[in-house]
Amino acid sequence: MDSTAQELPRGWRLWALLPLLLLVGAVAVFAASGTTLLDLVGRAPPPADQFDIRRVEFKPGEIRIRVTNPQRQELTIATVTVDDAIVPYTVDGPATLGRLHSSTIVVPFQWVEDDPYTVGVTSSSGIQTTFDVAAAVEARGASPRGFLGYALIGLLVGVVPVALGLGWLPSLRGSGPGWVAGFMALTAGLLSFLAVDALTEALDLQAGLPSGFQGPGLILLGVAASYLGLTFVAQRFSAAAGRERSAPLGGVALATLVAIGIGLHNLGEGLAIGSSIALGELALGTFLIVGFMVHNVTEGLGIAAPIADGARASLGRLAVLALVAGAPAIVGAWIGGFITSDVLGVLFFALAVGAALQVVVEVGRYVARRAPGGLRSGPVIGGYLAGIVVMYVTGLLVA
Amino acid sequence: MTRRQLLAATAPAVAAVPLAKLALDKPAQAATPHVHYPGMAMDAPTHAAMHGDEVPAPGGPKALDALLHPPPALPHKPGRVREYDVTAVDREIEVAKGVFFNAWAYNGTVPGPVIRATEDDLLRVKFTNGGSHPHTIHFHGIHPTGMDGVFEIVDPGGSFTYEFPARPYGMHLYHCHSTPLKKHIAKGLYGAFIIDPAEPRPPAQELVMVLNGFDTDGDGENNFYGVNGPAFYYAKYPIRVRRSQTVRIYLANLTEFDLINSLHLHGDFFRYYPTGSSDHFEYTDTVMLCQGQRGIIEIDFAHTGRFMFHAHQSEFTELGWMGFFEVVD
Repeated sequence: MDSTAQELPRGWRLWALLPLLLLVGAVAVFAASGTTLLDLVGRAPPPADQFDIRRVEFKPGEIRIRVTNPQRQELTIATVTVDDAIVPYTVDGPATLGRLHSSTIVVPFQWVEDDPYTVGVTSSSGIQTTFDVAAAVEARGASPRGFLGYALIGLLVGVVPVALGLGWLPSLRGSGPGWVAGFMALTAGLLSFLAVDALTEALDLQAGLPSGFQGPGLILLGVAASYLGLTFVAQRFSAAAGRERSAPLGGVALATLVAIGIGLHNLGEGLAIGSSIALGELALGTFLIVGFMVHNVTEGLGIAAPIADGARASLGRLAVLALVAGAPAIVGAWIGGFITSDVLGVLFFALAVGAALQVVVEVGRYVARRAPGGLRSGPVIGGYLAGIVVMYVTGLLVA
Repeated sequence: MTRRQLLAATAPAVAAVPLAKLALDKPAQAATPHVHYPGMAMDAPTHAAMHGDEVPAPGGPKALDALLHPPPALPHKPGRVREYDVTAVDREIEVAKGVFFNAWAYNGTVPGPVIRATEDDLLRVKFTNGGSHPHTIHFHGIHPTGMDGVFEIVDPGGSFTYEFPARPYGMHLYHCHSTPLKKHIAKGLYGAFIIDPAEPRPPAQELVMVLNGFDTDGDGENNFYGVNGPAFYYAKYPIRVRRSQTVRIYLANLTEFDLINSLHLHGDFFRYYPTGSSDHFEYTDTVMLCQGQRGIIEIDFAHTGRFMFHAHQSEFTELGWMGFFEVVD
């Protein structure tokens, strides 16, 4: 036993509760006199009493309006309007909402397809919140057909292109170490592009959330969790391979990390596509699907590059990698199509950011050690930039 | 630009293909017009109409009786004193089912009490300001300048007595004339003011209807419209009248923000006497009024049953300015 341990007071765990107890006491004193204290510096403004209209869905013969109370004070649904006309409605849940609680308002309504609508929800204090719908399009509910449809879309934009991209593996194997290093750098480049893309998505989505959800904090949490989570996984891969923990990963292990990073990105992408379709915001055409396929085929290349430099991988293992990277697009499309939660969207995109960044770091460490000439060699710099350019150019196809 | 935005931006381009096809197909479609309403499946619930128990309206069946039924007309007796006490108060009122509005109200109601006198009566209205802002009462009609409710501003806690002979006969109105004028009227300081002619009007079932609106979120547009106050009140509680006797409506428009308001009666026609100050009338089923415009309507119902009346601005109708007559034998 060393001397510092003896200097700690006995029962230090109990002593750790002391600040908490004092805090409870201070809060109690403030709560007892708080109102009069605040009166000294002014009067609190009245609550905004605005609802957060999260989603407006058009079903046969009815309009469904999902509302959330974004403020601290309770908020009561009193009147509902469609195009400035008061309409009868029912609430699927409580009419009085506590902080960040939600309800769905159901309005029986013979709406006209493709016509614009403005729905309004008025609180008991008379404050009206409106939401504009550019064109009414029927929202399909959860049905086996829809389930299959979203799965097919996810399969087409996720699994298929990644699997096709893995087809570059034989030619990669045949190329020299300089080329392989270049393609590894290309992987890092396209993952950097995906990280920036996902971060922008996350920031855009969180801007629309009520401030109570603390969007930026949610993003930080997602980024940190996925970055550190993947770091932990990478360490375990190293340990399993019987190497020292700090050794850079290579081969299938690195490819798995890349697949996880890409998979998390495709989860967010599937969610964005699914919810856009569900809300009628997206005219999903053949052209767009093809665009996504071309765009995502490069992701397969990213997974193939590390394998090309390592031991042979079985066809089964390659299939698993394609599923890890591509199948989340299916799951994302289901979630986006049937649930649509912007909070989930923010979290998913944040997870994608952290994962992509971690894999960029992991690939960088690998390239630094294995590439002829290290990180500063021509193929590596060129490959990295080429990765960004490839994502940018194929991105134009979905523009 | 994010990929999602790119997606959204593509949508029009992708949509352009079927749109172009649609444009080419148009002549064929024009021959057989067909409109598709996705909601029109047989088993779908119908678009609920605003009548019966569906109607959301505050208050009970007799809540607005004091405003709907004016005090009786008194015979002509020059010089007789008619006294009224009117107090302006700040009060929260329910303007639509479940929606509360911080109103300024004469005697606690919006509109304020019906003030009635016979021509040549001496009207004495004692006004007390129990509210938190300066108010007045400005009467329409003929009176001296010092009784006009423009210069005699009554501060909170103060009072003022308006005194003048009631003339000319007709349907008039009163309202606060403190500035900002729009705010004082929108908050609810107005009411009906009836002066009966020296020669009494024929007996009738007399009703008062003050058209008004409420801007509950302060954006300069009314969120709710109604007659004598709350939205949809007479849709939930139809006004019962007898077919055997003329129905006489003292009608005034005090709607703020909107340029005009109107009244349209279903299933019948009526005589409309502008301002009610002459025998001149128009035979119609729809009248249009700007703010402050008023008149007297006389209906001899031809049929029994339920007849709608409402603003012929559809928007006002669907924001609460709609009701029914229940005509019985």
